[in-house]
Amino acid sequence: MALLSLSNISKIYQQGELTVPALQEVNLTVEQGEFAALVGPSGSGKTTLLNIIGGLDTPSEGEVMLNGRDMTRLSESELSDFRLFELGFIFQAYNLVPVLSALENVELIMVLQGRPEKERRERAEHFLTLVGLADQMDRRPSGLSGGQQQRVAVARALAAGPRLVLADEPTANLDSENATALLDIMYTLSQDKELQTTFLFSTHDPRVMERARRIITLRDGRIVADEC
Amino acid sequence: MTSVSSGSMKRQHAAGLPLALLLRLAWRNLWRHRKRTLITLTSIAIGFAMAVISIGIGDGSHNSMIRNAITLGEGHLAIQPKGYLEAPSNSLMIADGKGLTDQLQHPLKALAQQGIQVSAIPRISLQLLASTANNSVGVGLESVSGQAEDPRSEQLRKGLIVGDWLSEEQENGIVLGQALANKLKVRLGSKVVLMAGTQGGDTTAQLGRVRGIFQTGMDDLDSYLILAPLELGRLFLKAELTATGAQIETKTKTEIEAETAQPLTRIALFVLPAGAADQAQLLLNKAMNSSLNSRQLALLDWQTLMPDLVQFVALDDAGNYVFLLLILIMVLFGIINTVLMSVLERTREFGLLRALGLARIQLMLLVCAEAFLLSVLALLFGWLLGGGLHLVLSANGLDLSGMMGDSTAIMGTYMDPVIRPELSLNRIVQLSGGIFLVTLLSGLYPAIKASRVAPVDALKT
Ligand SMILES: Nc1ncnc2c1ncn2[C@@H]1O[C@H](COP(=O)(O)OP(=O)(O)OP(=O)(O)O)[C@@H](O)[C@H]1O
Ligand SMILES: [Mg+2]
Repeated sequence: MALLSLSNISKIYQQGELTVPALQEVNLTVEQGEFAALVGPSGSGKTTLLNIIGGLDTPSEGEVMLNGRDMTRLSESELSDFRLFELGFIFQAYNLVPVLSALENVELIMVLQGRPEKERRERAEHFLTLVGLADQMDRRPSGLSGGQQQRVAVARALAAGPRLVLADEPTANLDSENATALLDIMYTLSQDKELQTTFLFSTHDPRVMERARRIITLRDGRIVADEC
Repeated sequence: MTSVSSGSMKRQHAAGLPLALLLRLAWRNLWRHRKRTLITLTSIAIGFAMAVISIGIGDGSHNSMIRNAITLGEGHLAIQPKGYLEAPSNSLMIADGKGLTDQLQHPLKALAQQGIQVSAIPRISLQLLASTANNSVGVGLESVSGQAEDPRSEQLRKGLIVGDWLSEEQENGIVLGQALANKLKVRLGSKVVLMAGTQGGDTTAQLGRVRGIFQTGMDDLDSYLILAPLELGRLFLKAELTATGAQIETKTKTEIEAETAQPLTRIALFVLPAGAADQAQLLLNKAMNSSLNSRQLALLDWQTLMPDLVQFVALDDAGNYVFLLLILIMVLFGIINTVLMSVLERTREFGLLRALGLARIQLMLLVCAEAFLLSVLALLFGWLLGGGLHLVLSANGLDLSGMMGDSTAIMGTYMDPVIRPELSLNRIVQLSGGIFLVTLLSGLYPAIKASRVAPVDALKT
């Protein structure tokens, strides 16, 4: 069974008199361990799609099956727990809690997951080291560069052990050097056989797209291409 | 490294933030805008200090009024005939004053053993007509006992402006208020005829001689009061007793030897420490109740004796409470403003936390924790400033005489011209509780606001 399968997803925004079809009859399956990019022009529906998959938004129509559960049927608190245990998020910016250090930020989700302190600390240090921040663990976000902050977000997403990491333009605020470095880190981690983490990220950046193993192209709310 | 086994995750629930982490987060959030937090804390502290001072001054002046009223009045407690309070009359008396005084000795000793000193002052109060060649005026005669130290007479003695104080040698010596002296047109050595009608219809008259004149600044006293030795007053009571139809304790009426009974109007009881008055009343009531009842006597506290004063204090307190309420409302909005501002500017952060899997209630708790810490700090700052000011003011006293004019007389008593603010434990608890509650309460709206943030708000750029 596929990790993620979307069937006939439509999302229509109502803006006054105007109805904006952000997504129209989207069908998509993603297998465990994939490293897939969502591309398309601005306004094509990438963010909307990722939000729906992440349970941050609900589709107007259709079904989202993630790990065997229909996301559209979960209550709000079930969704919240689902996100906590099954999903990782990396946003474009402002990913971190400003008053917590890098280490504390990574640990925070694991605290909510109820993991024991020792395990938390070990995992947080492990993943921060993997993303190259062994020496910056105790810094607050304000003391980290944009690229470093995004890497903390990656470490946080992975340390919590999610099945699927959703990243909406994780490199949008980075220069291309930092962008490709971040993608390389994400790709390396996705290759970890033990973790088997699946990545789905959106991007505009051609150099980032190059790193993807699969590119799903959206236009006007429809998938117009899906190539491996 | 321990990795997560994916299957076991399915039915798991968020653990929520442990208290220590919640408080750590809240504490750090509080200091994100150091200046803003400090300004808020300062304004709360100033408001709080104002409340502490105003309540302290209010209580200080009330207590001073009450203390003086008790001193000038009938003590903390008084034993007097039932009905006297409602309708004072010369014929209402404790016929066997000596018997009652003796009977009191035992319970007073018991109280002394508990560390409560109660002095029992025998007193006679009479409504008389004072006449001189020039004028006739209705007056109140109050006795001054030669033996026991009477706080009232000590107090009035301070106001002596002409002549000498009463002495036991001169049984018909009297001291009167300046205004009364003027009305009667008397000087030192002048004779004043004191007259009372008895129940039987007879008239008793005694001759008094002016030994001294006092001035208290309290009109009620200065224009109405004549002080005389207990013995002089007793002559009137004895006349009542011997007169037919005297309204005395019925049982013993005939048995009482007017000569030995030493009739009194009341026994005033002064309690030290004053705070133990209730306790003293309780014990005295227990020990004496049946005998007081059978003699138609009542043990009354100062509150019962001076209901107008109690009412005045309550009314004045109400004014203070309104002021306090205004300050609390000020504080409320100050904090709501601060916490709400910090919540509104963190929408993205709350959205992020929600997106990551933090439950609404956790966000609420976080904001409440911030309000809680703010209130703890506010209380600390407030007491530091308010308590400090209070200590300074109560040590040095606050001279309000300029504000109150020449006379500090009010409600038949007077305020000490230099007020020392007072804060009872009760007030400390009240003030702390009030400010604490209000601060916590003011966190509620922002907390709800925070919990309403949608996870998607984290993504908006
Ligand atoms: N909250 C909303 N209300 C109304 N319309 C919306 C809302 N969010 C998105 N849309 C519309 O839905 C469409 C898809 O938007 P979406 O943000 O998913 O595009 P995108 O592919 O992420 O674009 P970008 O590359 O600029 O981020 C757009 O036409 C957008 O205007
Ligand atoms: Mg987008």
